[in-house]
Amino acid sequence: MEAAHAHHGHGDHAHHPYGIMRWITTTNHKDIGTLYLVFSLTMFFIGGLLAMGIRLELLEPGMQFWRPEFFNQLTSMHGLIMVFGAIMPAFVGFANWQVPMMIGAPDMAFARMNNWSFWLLPVGATLLVASFFVPGGATAAGWTIYAPLSTQMGPGMDLAIFALHIMGASSIMGSINIITTILNMRAPGMTLMKMPLFVWTWLITAYLLIAVMPVLAGAVTMLLTDRHFGTNFFNAAGGGDPVLFQHVFWFFGHPEVYIMILPGFGIVSQVVPTFSRKPLFGYSSMVYATASIAILSFIVWAHHMFTVGMPAVAQLFFMYATMLIAVPTGVKVFNWIATMWKGSLTFETPMLFACGFIFVFSMGGFTGLVLAITPVDIQLQDTYYVVAHFHYVLVAGSLFALFAGVYFWIPKWTGHMYDELLGKWHFWLSMIFFNITFFPMHFTGLAGLPRRVPDYNMQFADFNFISSIGSFGFGLSQLILVYVVVKCIRGAGEKVSDKVWEGAHGLEWTLPSPPPYHTFETPPVVK
Amino acid sequence: MATTLEPESPRKATPLQVAKAVLSAFIGIRRRAAHEHDAVTLSPVQVIVAGVIAAAILVLSLVMLVRTITS
Repeated sequence: MEAAHAHHGHGDHAHHPYGIMRWITTTNHKDIGTLYLVFSLTMFFIGGLLAMGIRLELLEPGMQFWRPEFFNQLTSMHGLIMVFGAIMPAFVGFANWQVPMMIGAPDMAFARMNNWSFWLLPVGATLLVASFFVPGGATAAGWTIYAPLSTQMGPGMDLAIFALHIMGASSIMGSINIITTILNMRAPGMTLMKMPLFVWTWLITAYLLIAVMPVLAGAVTMLLTDRHFGTNFFNAAGGGDPVLFQHVFWFFGHPEVYIMILPGFGIVSQVVPTFSRKPLFGYSSMVYATASIAILSFIVWAHHMFTVGMPAVAQLFFMYATMLIAVPTGVKVFNWIATMWKGSLTFETPMLFACGFIFVFSMGGFTGLVLAITPVDIQLQDTYYVVAHFHYVLVAGSLFALFAGVYFWIPKWTGHMYDELLGKWHFWLSMIFFNITFFPMHFTGLAGLPRRVPDYNMQFADFNFISSIGSFGFGLSQLILVYVVVKCIRGAGEKVSDKVWEGAHGLEWTLPSPPPYHTFETPPVVK
Repeated sequence: MATTLEPESPRKATPLQVAKAVLSAFIGIRRRAAHEHDAVTLSPVQVIVAGVIAAAILVLSLVMLVRTITS
């Protein structure tokens, strides 16, 4: 922190390179936040394009456009790109922009490492996207890259493994940075229990990331040595066990689910009180519930693999543990609704997305409870019911929370108000098309339609047609977001005041809009 | 550093208080007054140790429960 102060103490704020070098060499948290957000938006569209390819093939029964191998590449890469390229970096982008401004710090604790952790991402993403063009194409083993499929594929799999290593390293460095910033650089008087909930959720998420990203790195390294160096961790013929991969992967994978949703909870917990013009109901409960969800996330991983076979004792254990997560999650949903209760509500775009989040995420949570029941899960494993479930929590959960955050803070970041009418169009079209796309998947899943298969029986034709039309609509609706954001950045909207929203509270709203390049060089005092 | 600027702890929390705070965290509910009291008396080390112990107890009690059901 001393170093940060010394560096910023020169007083001349304009001392940074211009043009492309500004972005390559930047150590400024706002610049790096912007880089993360632009990167994740780009990856969101690449991943979205792959989704369009999936839905195009599924528009009608029979094989229309792709070979089955390429279809599998589309589903696998859609998952990998959306999880590691879009959702996770987007939340880190929010953390970079917001955490220092919310706790009254001048920048992130390790500013140069911050630059390094961002610039690793385009390298990883390039490896992932380039893998489509190597012999055999990209990985087609699903985003979960289960062995033994993943021990057999071509070089596209190696590129995916290296990409995961690199993106994992980036996440770990980002997390160390966020934890150190939050624990060491808070303004005087900003005690832990006064921190905005977004900061709290990120603190807990960062610990989760540090705990599980090395586990993923271990799993994919074992995969790599199995593929090239003669080990047999996952090769049954050599005394290994492919089920081991699933255990190790999901020990990472389940906390990963919470890594992708907890910062979203944080954003919603900032937005709902602002537009309810009331303080967050049960602040401490929210902090405790977040911690509780994080702890429980480590003891539920095998609910992803009930069908691989395990003793009844283990099945029951993971079923009960999974159901317990409904308690703290229910506390959170209750608190958001209680915050709105008797509030002076208005529904600007961030609030619309937050309300949409609460409604649709809860539906995804409920289908999660259904899937937690072992005998039900054994019927529904690998069907479209699961696809519907995790898109309800990841699209309507994480992505809607991200949209809420963008609309909430972009006037602060750019100094210009976004186009409210277009924002509302973006919300309603996203909400409607999202449900048209994913709600029918509950029905097809219950009827037994398996995921990751490019063709299907005639009985599923109508629901798949509806889903595909919905997905094209959802994809196109996202262009509105790009237009709104570009308009804001170009300064087209009306100028906003420091405190953009009437009901907003927190240190970031004491800064000018847009905030100067360096903020809080002299720490504010929090009462 | 901000941590040194926080108010001095009036006194250390007893193990019972730590247990209460951690158990509330497991459910996700805590009264504001009790929570504010926690904030000044609990140290992070206490919370982490109690959290790990409580998680172990939760796992063990779930294991015992499922063993009873399946036996």
